[in-house]
Order: sequence, then C-alpha cells, then structure tokens
Amino acid sequence: MSGAILAIETSCDDSCAAVVDASGLILSNVIASQSIHDKYGGVVPEIAARHHLHLLTPTIDAALSDAGLTLDLIERVAVTQGPGLIGALLVGVAQAKAIAAARGVPLVAVDHLQGHVAANFLGPDPFEPPFVCLIASGGHTLLARVEEQSSYTVLGETLDDAAGEAFDKGARMLGLPFPGGPALEALAGDGDPEAFDFPTARNVKGFDFSFAGVKTSLLYAIADLGEAESQLRRADLAASYQKAIVDALIDRLDRALSASGLGRVAIGGGVAANGPLRQRVSELGAETHIPAMKLCTDNAAMIAGAARFLPDCSTEAALALDAYPSGSKR
Amino acid sequence: MTSPAGAVIAFDTATAATVVGLTVGGTLVCELADRPGEDQRPRHAERLLTLCEEALAQAGLGWGGLGRIGVGVGPGTFTGLRIGVATAQGLAQATALPVIAVSTLEALSLRARAAEPLLQIAAVGDARRGEAYVAAWSADGTPTVAAQACPPERLGAVFAADLNPTLAVGDGALIFRKELESRGIEVPEDGSPLHRLDGGSLCELAASGAPVSSQELVPHYVRRPDAEIALQARAENS
Ligand SMILES: [Zn+2]
Repeated sequence: MSGAILAIETSCDDSCAAVVDASGLILSNVIASQSIHDKYGGVVPEIAARHHLHLLTPTIDAALSDAGLTLDLIERVAVTQGPGLIGALLVGVAQAKAIAAARGVPLVAVDHLQGHVAANFLGPDPFEPPFVCLIASGGHTLLARVEEQSSYTVLGETLDDAAGEAFDKGARMLGLPFPGGPALEALAGDGDPEAFDFPTARNVKGFDFSFAGVKTSLLYAIADLGEAESQLRRADLAASYQKAIVDALIDRLDRALSASGLGRVAIGGGVAANGPLRQRVSELGAETHIPAMKLCTDNAAMIAGAARFLPDCSTEAALALDAYPSGSKR
Repeated sequence: MTSPAGAVIAFDTATAATVVGLTVGGTLVCELADRPGEDQRPRHAERLLTLCEEALAQAGLGWGGLGRIGVGVGPGTFTGLRIGVATAQGLAQATALPVIAVSTLEALSLRARAAEPLLQIAAVGDARRGEAYVAAWSADGTPTVAAQACPPERLGAVFAADLNPTLAVGDGALIFRKELESRGIEVPEDGSPLHRLDGGSLCELAASGAPVSSQELVPHYVRRPDAEIALQARAENS
C-alpha cells in the first residue's frame, strides 16, 4: 500500500478520481460522466464546471472507499493542470490543492496528454518505452514519440479539429445523436467505405493532422446528393467518412513508426474504441498496446500513472498552482 | 454556535479580490487580501491557499487547530465562486472540519450596518453585463431583498428606498452610484472601506452560521448558464 497516489481529473465533462499505488497498480478508478451535455449537442463549459463541483467530492470519496483507503494513507495528490476547459480544470485543481495542503502531502501537477500517454504504464500489464503513441479523442489528436516515462516528444498534432470532434461533427451532419463516434461507427458497419472519396489531408506537412477538409467534403457530399438520396446513402457516407479519418490517423502513425524505427505503438483517447482503427493498427506490423477502454478515455488513474514519474511541486508552487486551458505545462 | 475560543478561517473569491480572515474566540487575528487593480485579472487560484497558509502561520495554527471554515458562496463571478467552494470542499474532506456557507453580500453589509445602524443596508456587487448583484437588510437586520441580479433601472425600486432610508455599499454601488443616488439611496465616498469585503465580517458570519454538508455547499450563482436558458427558449418556441 506504500506510495498511494490520489489523482483527480476534471479537464472536460467527466469528474474522475482514482487511487494508484507506487507500483502502478490501480486500486480504484471512478468516473462520474455528465450525460447532461448530450442534449446540448456538445460539452457546455459552464455546465461542465457546475457539475464537477457537485460530483467531485463524492467521486473522490468513492475512489478512496473503492481502494479501501482513507486520506490518512494517501502519500501524494495528483491533479490534471491542463489543457482542457479552464472552469472545469479549476474545480479539480482547487480541490486537489486544498486536500494536499490540509493533509500536508505533496502535490503533483500533471499534463492531461502526459496522462493519456501514461495510461500505458499502469499495471498489471505495463507497456515500457520507447514507443510511438497516438492519442485521439474529442479534445485532442497527438502523435508522440515516447522515450521515457516522464515525458514525450510531439511528432504531430491537429491543425484544426480533433479526430473525435471530426467523428462527432460528421455524426451530427448525418443526423446522429451526440456523442457521435459510436453511432457513426455502427451506421458505417452497413455501408461501403469506398463509396465516396473523402480527403485525408496528405498534403499537410510532417506528421500533423487536419480534419476540417473531410468535414467540409461530407457537408458538400450531403448537399450534392440532396436530402432524399443522402438519407438513402447514410451508411455509405458514414463508412467513407470513417475510413477517411482512420486513413489519416494510420497514414501518420505508419510513417512515424517507419521514421522512428521503434516498431512499437500504443494508442489512446476515446477514438481508440473505434473498431476499424484498432484493426488497422493491428495490421501495422508493430508491437501494439491498447490500454483497457476505461483507461483510454478520460480518467484519473492515468493521471496518477503519470504522477508516478513526475516530481512533486514545491510547497509554494503547490499552494499557488493555477490551471492552464491550452498548450503544455509551464 | 461555536465556542468563543474556536478558531475560524473564512475566505471569499466571489469578487475580483481574494479575501481571507482568521478569528480566534471572535477576535480578528489576521486579515489578508489580494485586490487586483482594475486592469488586472483575479488571482484566486494562485493566491487563495497561499493567503490561508499565511493567515494560519500568523495565528500560529495548523489546519487541525481550527474549529470551522467559512466560505463566501456569492453571488459573484462563477469561476471565482467555484475556486472558493472547491477549496472549501477539499479542506473539509481533508480535515473533517465543519464548513459554513457565507453570503458574500451579507458579509459586505456588516461594516455598513455597524456604521449606520438606523438605515436599510443594500449590498451591491458588480454582476457584469451592465447589472448588479443586490441584497438588502432592514435596520433591525431582517432581510428585505433576497440576493438577485438586477438591471440598473430596477435598482432604486428593488430596495423600496422611498420607504426605507438606504445606504448602498460595494463595487456595484460605485458603478451604479448615479442610478442609486437619483433614487435617494446614499452611497459612501469612493475610497470608503465600507465598499470592501473584509475578512473579519466573513469570519463573523462563519462563526454564527450553521454548518452545511458537502452536497449543500454550492455557489449561490443567482444566474442560470446561458446555454440552459437558450435551450429552454428553443424548446418553448418549437
Ligand atoms: Zn483526454
């Protein structure tokens, strides 16, 4: 039980708390999802922040009780500092700081994307660096080279929409409810992925991504077909659109793997749930690691997982810690 | 009620300022505030806990030496309120101390009440969007106006100032001085300390208030989220 870390994650619309021990074993991993945003067709920052304030305390209590621990046995507190929705982040940061200060235990500030990468280091089956890592979700698209557990090198990022955002926006155009990823994948299962030729932004330099073009192409395709015909061909549109997004992800991942010569790949983020993406990753000929889905989507265990390899804040820095909405850790 | 010897820390982040007070046995031991200039952003996240630790150090206390925690729950800026309330929730979780939700506007009214015991006291905060957060108490301390966001044209009427001689204080009273004074409401001069929320008043209310559970400890937002209002309007129009 030594070195137990309590981690808190509130960067978007899930209130998360987890306890992980020093060896990376997950003792608890509690996620309170805010389904209220579905009716708005996307996450509303002010509403997310209000709900975090309601949900976080019982979520932390549940994480402690699931782990069979009290705060007396927590040796470090970790929290997502950014990037994310600033009002949402600040709820977690304020609460984590207060717990750490009042208990007199060190605070660890964790970058959310470092957390996604660190989901791979959690027990019982950790994946050791070096590897190439793709994180794709509604909020981020990151291709990184991971050489050590405490950091990563950015190879590519999206220039506009995140991959999961592209899924959600396409789903909305096809009349599917939010969040659209799973619904679009289900609809695509009945369609022909070769029916339409949507762009994958291959002209974007390096390993960066762009999903604005594929989104616009879908919009035009629907308009060109007309309402009746596009309704009839929804499954083909969904399948072709999904293929374009997956192609774009696999193209960069494949090139990054070749360029790095590492032969090892991990994926994470909510888009890692996508069946065709998982299939295509498994065909890359690399040693592949995909954490359990509950560790791919936003969660606090991954934040604790990252904290294991990060230094404590100084006492002064812990008291003064502020959240950051974008960019990387300051 | 607390025992008179109990130590109380109370803080507020509803306005641009970060205000912390600490009393022992009802005596103010320490009052600290970070008040950003007009063109500066609030520094609630950076300053709140640092000021709390400074107050504890000045009082020679640790968190365990406190009897209760008070937190201003507004109304005020949404993000500021959440930083204060989330901090109080974390402290309560870590210390098991009782937490008292303090009305920011009531705390603001206390010093004016002491200065002008025969007047109705209106606490007026800056609610942005051209509005004020207001609440008022009669000379005998009875609430006369419940906390609400109020457009300037309703400011005079809401206090029924024609019937009750009224003193208005707070940063909102400075912004809407003209509107208030035109209705016969008195507003202290701009630099008056009566316009400033102080740590001692927060502690005074925290010392006498009833503790709340963590689920009851919520900001007094007064306003609903814009998206919720828009969604409801769409539903009613369709
Ligand atoms: Zn994420």
